[in-house]
Amino acid sequence: MLKLIIEKELRETIGSSRFAISFGICALLIILAFYVGARNYQVTRAQYEAALAENLRQMEGITDWMMVDQHIFLPPLPIAALVTGIANDIGRTVEVHGRGELTAEGSRFNEDPLFAVFRFLDLDFIFQIVLSLFAILFAYNAINGEKEQGTLRLTFANAVPRATYILGKMAGTFLALAVPLLIPLLIGCLLLILLGIPLNGGDWGRLALIIGAGLLYFGVFLTLSIWVSALTRRSASSFLLLLILWLFAVLIIPRSAVLLAGRAVDVLPIDEIATQKSRLMAQLWEEDRKVMANFRPSQTEDTEAMLNEFNQFMQDQAEKREQKLRALSERLEEQRRNGERLRERWALWLARLSPTASFSLAAMNLAGTSLMLKQQYLDAANAYQERYAAFIGEKTGGMLRSGGFVVRRIGGADNQPPPIDPREIPAFDYQPPPLPEAAATSLADIGLLACFNLLCFAGAFVGFLRYDVR
Amino acid sequence: MLSLLIQKELKSIIASPKFVGTFGTCAVLILLSVFIGIQEYRASMTQYETARQLNDQEMAESSSWSALHTRVYRQPDPMQIFVSGVHYDIGRFSAISEWEEIKLRRSNYSEDPIFAIFRFIDFSFVVQIALSLLAILFTYDAINGEREQGTLKLTFANPVPRVRYILGKLIGSWLGMVIPLLIPILLALLLVLLYRIPLTADHWLRIFLLIGFSLLFFTFFLALGLLVSARTRSSSVAFLLLLVGWVTLVLIIPRAGAMLAGQLVPVPGIAEIDSKLAGYSQERWDQHSEAMSQRYQERNAVTAGMSAEEREAYEDANMWAWLEEEDAERKKLQQDISEYGRKLQEDFRNRRAIQEQLAFILARFSPASAYQLAAMQLAGNDIDLKTRYEDAMQAYRTIFNDFLDMKRKESGGHSGMRISISSESGINISTGGVDAQSLDLSEVPRFTPPDYLLSRSLGRVMPDLVLLVLFTVLAFAGAFVGFLRYDVR
Amino acid sequence: MQNNAVNAGNDRPSAPVLAARELSKRYEDGVLALDRLNLQVQSGEIYAMLGGNGAGKTTAINLFLNFIDPSEGEALIGGIVTHRDPIAAKKQVAFVSENVMLYPNFTALQNLDYFSRLGGRTGYTREDYRKVLLRVGLQEEAHAKKLRTYSKGMRQKCGIAIAILKDAPAILLDEPTSGLDPKAGLEFIALLQELRDEGRAILMSTHDIFRAKQVADKVGIMNRGRLVAEKHRSELEGEDLEKLYVAYMAGYMEAAV
Repeated sequence: MLKLIIEKELRETIGSSRFAISFGICALLIILAFYVGARNYQVTRAQYEAALAENLRQMEGITDWMMVDQHIFLPPLPIAALVTGIANDIGRTVEVHGRGELTAEGSRFNEDPLFAVFRFLDLDFIFQIVLSLFAILFAYNAINGEKEQGTLRLTFANAVPRATYILGKMAGTFLALAVPLLIPLLIGCLLLILLGIPLNGGDWGRLALIIGAGLLYFGVFLTLSIWVSALTRRSASSFLLLLILWLFAVLIIPRSAVLLAGRAVDVLPIDEIATQKSRLMAQLWEEDRKVMANFRPSQTEDTEAMLNEFNQFMQDQAEKREQKLRALSERLEEQRRNGERLRERWALWLARLSPTASFSLAAMNLAGTSLMLKQQYLDAANAYQERYAAFIGEKTGGMLRSGGFVVRRIGGADNQPPPIDPREIPAFDYQPPPLPEAAATSLADIGLLACFNLLCFAGAFVGFLRYDVR
Repeated sequence: MLSLLIQKELKSIIASPKFVGTFGTCAVLILLSVFIGIQEYRASMTQYETARQLNDQEMAESSSWSALHTRVYRQPDPMQIFVSGVHYDIGRFSAISEWEEIKLRRSNYSEDPIFAIFRFIDFSFVVQIALSLLAILFTYDAINGEREQGTLKLTFANPVPRVRYILGKLIGSWLGMVIPLLIPILLALLLVLLYRIPLTADHWLRIFLLIGFSLLFFTFFLALGLLVSARTRSSSVAFLLLLVGWVTLVLIIPRAGAMLAGQLVPVPGIAEIDSKLAGYSQERWDQHSEAMSQRYQERNAVTAGMSAEEREAYEDANMWAWLEEEDAERKKLQQDISEYGRKLQEDFRNRRAIQEQLAFILARFSPASAYQLAAMQLAGNDIDLKTRYEDAMQAYRTIFNDFLDMKRKESGGHSGMRISISSESGINISTGGVDAQSLDLSEVPRFTPPDYLLSRSLGRVMPDLVLLVLFTVLAFAGAFVGFLRYDVR
Repeated sequence: MQNNAVNAGNDRPSAPVLAARELSKRYEDGVLALDRLNLQVQSGEIYAMLGGNGAGKTTAINLFLNFIDPSEGEALIGGIVTHRDPIAAKKQVAFVSENVMLYPNFTALQNLDYFSRLGGRTGYTREDYRKVLLRVGLQEEAHAKKLRTYSKGMRQKCGIAIAILKDAPAILLDEPTSGLDPKAGLEFIALLQELRDEGRAILMSTHDIFRAKQVADKVGIMNRGRLVAEKHRSELEGEDLEKLYVAYMAGYMEAAV
């Protein structure tokens, strides 16, 4: 019996012209999303490579390691091109001196406001919009449509248990819609391979999980639609209701929840931090000026030793300033981070009233472009800075650039040191958190999506048991 | 006859549960969006004021003219309540000093990515996404629904000219949908007044124009619904088609247009440009220090034969002159670098302008983009906001630096640091004549935000206006012709 | 196809296949749609419920199919109380509605296949479907057409084909002839008589006096939820059913006033 109903559902869905049109368009959009993601990756990759090359080129001819001006960039990652998350919003370029606080500047949207005007077309967005609409379009009249058609009466003139019927209905609709969706998804993955996007095993795992989360998300809207159609008598009203629900779930709730909840929590303003730091800096500098004015080398015979002594002195001063600055900065940052964490918790949980927010957050976590990206990138940059400092220290005998001064010996041309080889500088690489970790952070959202599914499923089930089939 | 038809249309719209549902949703969304907009505006205003105050304090604490530097913040504009545009995406401020190039830094989104994660909701977003969807929800069955109901046949069993009927339908549904929309819009404006948002006459004019554009955009979707409804037999097919059309027009084409243009016209990344500039400046500084070392050697040659006292006296006598000279050279150098940077920028901007133009042309295949671009122009939050600010800041930087120069000359002191190292006298750090008194900052020129005249916005929105009108007229005409041929059975 | 129901025979009195006992239905809004209905339909018998709009005919059929639960009393199919065990009861009954609606995107054959399998009959071949469609008067060329291209009469025929295929001892028909042209109506009546002769118990509702008289073995006149008169075919022989109907209606009206 169940099989028969599923079979009928499959045949009825796939045989309809509605299916042909909307499936065709969904398929097209999904493939488009993959293509756009892949191309976008290639373009940003090219930009990234060009920036790296330019960065190296400008170091050519430098003869002193202390003169090196090192920049690191957030490397574009293939999965991040598919689910952009906040990757386009945060700063990408970090200037590394070997010491001092790092800030990432130059977000993509700031640099290319064109993309900020219309936003990106990524897989996350396409899934959010297309999968949910596709589900609604097919299931909005699952129950009340059959009633309007008159087939529900005829069906229940037979010995059909309601539970079997509704189970068959849901399973059949899900299969009829989700299985065909796998085709464009697979084509999309194939496209990634064909376009030569370098994806490793972990990336495929992420992609598979994102697609899985997408299907769960699709399931939420499917069961929700069946539920609504089991609560209403006319398919026109269930459609209206569902579209309004869709509008709220996909476009309104996530945005307004974050804005409303986010503003309700006070966070230490970033300008405040910047100003406090800059003030302390000015004050320290003022003090140091006096100390510096009193600097006298212990001996003046050996220029080399004297210079070293001076450099050491400047380094020590810089180190001291740096420590004081860091103490202040850490305190303020900690304060800000606490506020931010609280705000995130409120805002995101409120947003998760909508399954779209859950899906999107899960996808971002899996792609490594969630809110954590900013901190993770800075952490990676800080770790790099230590390596870089060690490297430069080794090259220059403990000297770093940010001591405030570069003291160069102006001698004859005879003892000109050879130019440095910038390729020796350790390379920066950013890796998103490994797959198990990403999967673990997205677990809450995937679980939530599953709960949404269960809830709507149960709702549809109970709703239909009570449905008036006349 | 026509008024009878219009009346019937109005009555049937207003009495339908669909109307209650959609109208309620619209009203809630419009009010919500404006409320959020007000909150956000106030938040950014507070942020702006605090930032400026802190900057002023910091300047006040500065003890010498030559160390004086400032930051200029982008000023929030009340129009962002309705259209946020790129306001939250582009940098908030730029440092103004001799040694830093103008660059808008730190967008709101990069500082608080939490707000970037699901993006913004504002009035123009609600109009673009929600109202358009609700408009097609309203008209998708305007004609074929009446056929399915059987009322179309009954109507045309009477001596009703088709032209009248379709006109009545158009006018009736327009009145029935647009007039009620004005209620939440007026309430939203009331909300703005209630919160005492400082609006000038110019702002009000922009707001009314924005509302006009919104209604025009809404009308387009009403007409589109009628068009499809008059060309299809069954209302479910009409809806399917309209929904597909809506997704394509509102969600896909604008983005796809931008992405396509981005790929057709590649523009180098800023990081690359910055690196180029950094490379150039490195090179110039190297040359400079090379020249300096030459000069030192020459000077040393002069004093070579002198005794220590003589040398000291000579150096003391000439030191400030030398410093002046070096200063002038440094200035020249910095100007050169700035010039080079400007050239690079110019190049970059030109390339990007082509990309943007192409993107906008492609995107404007959808009235949703035309509306969005027009709304941004009217609100002054358009894509050129960044350039406008950067240009104004550039101009201000020159004024500011000139002022500092003048002040430095007046005060006569020199606050630079001089470190002299020689094998005889060792290392000497002199911190110059410190003018440690507090500075009178009242004369420091103030930055005036770039103004964006309404007349200029108007000029810029013209193409979009023409496009929107054209789209709407075409859709109406299509609906009209379609209905004249419609099989009413 | 074999006929399971025939064994009961035509003339031997036995347990009724369809029965209503004190069957009542009061809706949530307080309207008493059916008031203590008692009726029995033996196998090989056609029972026509005759009445105007709102007489309670459709409510009775809905109760037999357990689309709604009775307020009091019970409806039985093959001795099974329908609201106690609706699944078992529905195995015993086929149903044809006033306006047969089937899946518009399926062909007649696909609809037949689906519904007969849903009714528990899995052994049919394509040939069986073809035969039954021909039997109900649907021409060969229409069999593979989608239902959305069908006229009302054709759909009605499809509906009766589905009922035949279910091969149940009881058949419920809700206004089956309304909206059919005279020729189709006649064919339909002939078909019903065939089914009766196979030994099925048939309960139909109708407001068409002439059809009722033509086909029914028993006629129950209903008004405002009540069975106001029940006449056997033999009692109807000489009488003018129309007069009788109007008289009962009028009498009831007077009584009500």
